[in-house]
Amino acid sequence: MKSETRVIKLILISWLTAIVGLQVYVYFLERNYSELLLNELTIFNLPVHFWLTGQFLPLWFIILCVLFNLWMDRHTTSSLEGTLRFRVGARSGEKQ
Amino acid sequence: MATNTAQLLPLAIVAGMFILFLVSGLRTRKNQTTEYGFSGGYTGRVGIGASIASNWMSAASFMGLAGMFYLKGYYAMAFVVGWTGGYVLLLVLMATQIRRFGKYTTPDFVGFRYESDAARTLAALISIAITIIYSVAQFRGIALLVSWLFGIGYTPAVLVGASMVVSFVVISGTLGVARNQKLQYFVLITTFILPLMLLTRKLGYFWILPQFGYGAAIIDLQQQFGFCWSDPFSGNSPFQWLALCFTLMFGTAGLPHVLSRFYMVPGIRDARWGVVWGLAFIALIYWSAPVYGVLARLFEARAGLPFNAADANAADMVLLAAASLGGLPLWVIGLLAAGGISAAFSTTAGLLITGSASFSYDIYPRMIRPDASEADKVFAAKGFFLVLAVIVMVLTLKPWGMIVEIAAFAFALAGNTIFPAFLLGIWWCRANSAGVISGMLLGVVITFAPLIAGDAFPLIAALFPMTSSAFIGAPLVLLMMILVSLLTAPPSDSIRRFLRINVHDCPEE
Repeated sequence: MKSETRVIKLILISWLTAIVGLQVYVYFLERNYSELLLNELTIFNLPVHFWLTGQFLPLWFIILCVLFNLWMDRHTTSSLEGTLRFRVGARSGEKQ
Repeated sequence: MATNTAQLLPLAIVAGMFILFLVSGLRTRKNQTTEYGFSGGYTGRVGIGASIASNWMSAASFMGLAGMFYLKGYYAMAFVVGWTGGYVLLLVLMATQIRRFGKYTTPDFVGFRYESDAARTLAALISIAITIIYSVAQFRGIALLVSWLFGIGYTPAVLVGASMVVSFVVISGTLGVARNQKLQYFVLITTFILPLMLLTRKLGYFWILPQFGYGAAIIDLQQQFGFCWSDPFSGNSPFQWLALCFTLMFGTAGLPHVLSRFYMVPGIRDARWGVVWGLAFIALIYWSAPVYGVLARLFEARAGLPFNAADANAADMVLLAAASLGGLPLWVIGLLAAGGISAAFSTTAGLLITGSASFSYDIYPRMIRPDASEADKVFAAKGFFLVLAVIVMVLTLKPWGMIVEIAAFAFALAGNTIFPAFLLGIWWCRANSAGVISGMLLGVVITFAPLIAGDAFPLIAALFPMTSSAFIGAPLVLLMMILVSLLTAPPSDSIRRFLRINVHDCPEE
C-alpha cells in the first residue's frame, strides 16, 4: 500500500506541475510577447501555447495513466505471485 | 444557421442513424446485461474505453466546445484540459478503490461508507440535481439541432426535442435495446472528424491530420483579416482559467454517471486500462474541437460576416455553421447534426435513467413510501423519469448560458459535493457521516452562492464563479469534512476495518 501511495503521489505531482507550470509559462509568454509574435512561435504548425495546452497536456495525461497502469500491473502480479508461493509452500511443506 | 424550412436530407440521416443504433442494439442485446436498455456490454479493454468515451461524449463535447473556441480561443483550452485531466484523478484516486466497495451507485456508496441514511439521501438528491443541470445542457443542444432540422423556433424545438428523448427511451426500454457503445463511438468520431478533413482539404491545409492543419488558419486569420487568436487568457486572468480547469477536473472525478462505469466493468485491471483507452478516445475529439471554432471564424471573415460575441445560440451551432460556410455537401452537414443529436440523446437518456433510479431506490422507499414493493419502485422510476424530463424541458426554455457553461455548472456541483465525499471516503478512515453531510451541504451552498448572492457580494462571484466554484470550493469542503469528522465520533470499527483490509490492502492488525 505504501508503494502504491508513493506512485500515486508521483503521478499527481507530475499532473499538477504540468498543468500549472504550462499556464505560468503561457502567462509569461503573453506578458512578454505581442500577439503577433506569439503566432510566430509555433510547434507542429500550431502556436506554441495552443500545442502545449491543447495537444501536449492530454497526451501527457495519457502517458501518466499508462505509466500508472504498468506499475500497478507489475505490482499486483508480484503481490499475487508472493501470495501463491506462500500458499503452495504452506501446503507442500516447502520452506519459504 | 437559422432557417425556416425543414432539412429533409439531414433529417433522413438522423433517422437512419437511430434506426442503425436500434437494430444493432437489438442484435447484441442477448449478449449483454441490460437495465432499461442502457447499460451496454464490454468486449475487451478497447471496448471498455469506447464505452467510457461514448458515455462521456455529450452535446457539450460535440457541439459546445467548438462554440467556446469560436468565442474565446485559447481560453476554451481550460475545458480540454479539465475534461481530460480529470481522468487522471479518476484513475489513480478512485477507479480501483471504488470497485472494492462493491456498490453500484453514488448514493449506495455514500450510504455504505458513511453508514448513514441521511448522507445517502443527500447524495441521491445531489445526484438528481446534477442530472437535471447536466441534462439542461443536453436538451439545449438537442433543441438547437431540432430547430435547424425542422426549421422551427427555439421554444417549439425544446418541446419537440423533449418528446423525442422520451420516445427514444420508451422505445428502447420497451424493445430491450442494448447500447452498442463501440458502434456509437465509431459513428461519433467519424461524423466529427470527416467534415474537418474535408474542410481543411478544401482550404489547402494539411488535411490528413486537421488537428495540426488548423494552425495555418490561425495565421491566415491574422495576416488576411487582422484577427489574432493568440491572446491566451482572452481578457480573463490565469486564476479564472485555472479555476475553470480544476473545477472540471474535480467534477469529472465526481460525476455519478461517470463513476458508475467502473462498477460495471468485470475486472479491476480491465477497468484501469479501459480508462486509458477511454481517455485516448476522448482526447481525439478534444484535439479536433478547436478546429471547428477556428475554421468557422475564418469562413465568416472570408464571407464578410460580422462576429457577434453575444450570440450564444450561434456559437453553440458553430459546428454546422463551419460546415455550411465551408461549402460542404448537405449530407456531410447532416452527418454532423446526426452525430450531435446522437451524443446528446444517449447522454440525456443515461442521465435521466440514473436520476430516476436514484429517486426510486434511494428516496421513494426511504422518505415517501417505506413499504414500497419492487413493482412500486419500478412504477416510481418511470413516473419520476417523466417528471425529470418535464423539469429539464422547462429549464431549457430559458437556459442560463451556453451548452458548456451549463455543463460546467453541473461539474462544479459534482466537484463541490460528490468528489470530496468519495475522496475522503476512500482514503481517510476517520471521515464520518457528520463530516460528509456538513461537507456536502457546504458544497451545495458554495455552488449556488454565485447565483444567489453573486450580485450583492462581488467577492463571492470573484472567488466562486458559477462555472468554476470547485477550485476553491472543493478544498474548503474537504477542510470542513476533516474538521467536523475530528470533532465528532469516529466511524464504526467494522467500516474502518473494511477500509484497511479491503480497500487499502493493509494486513490485519
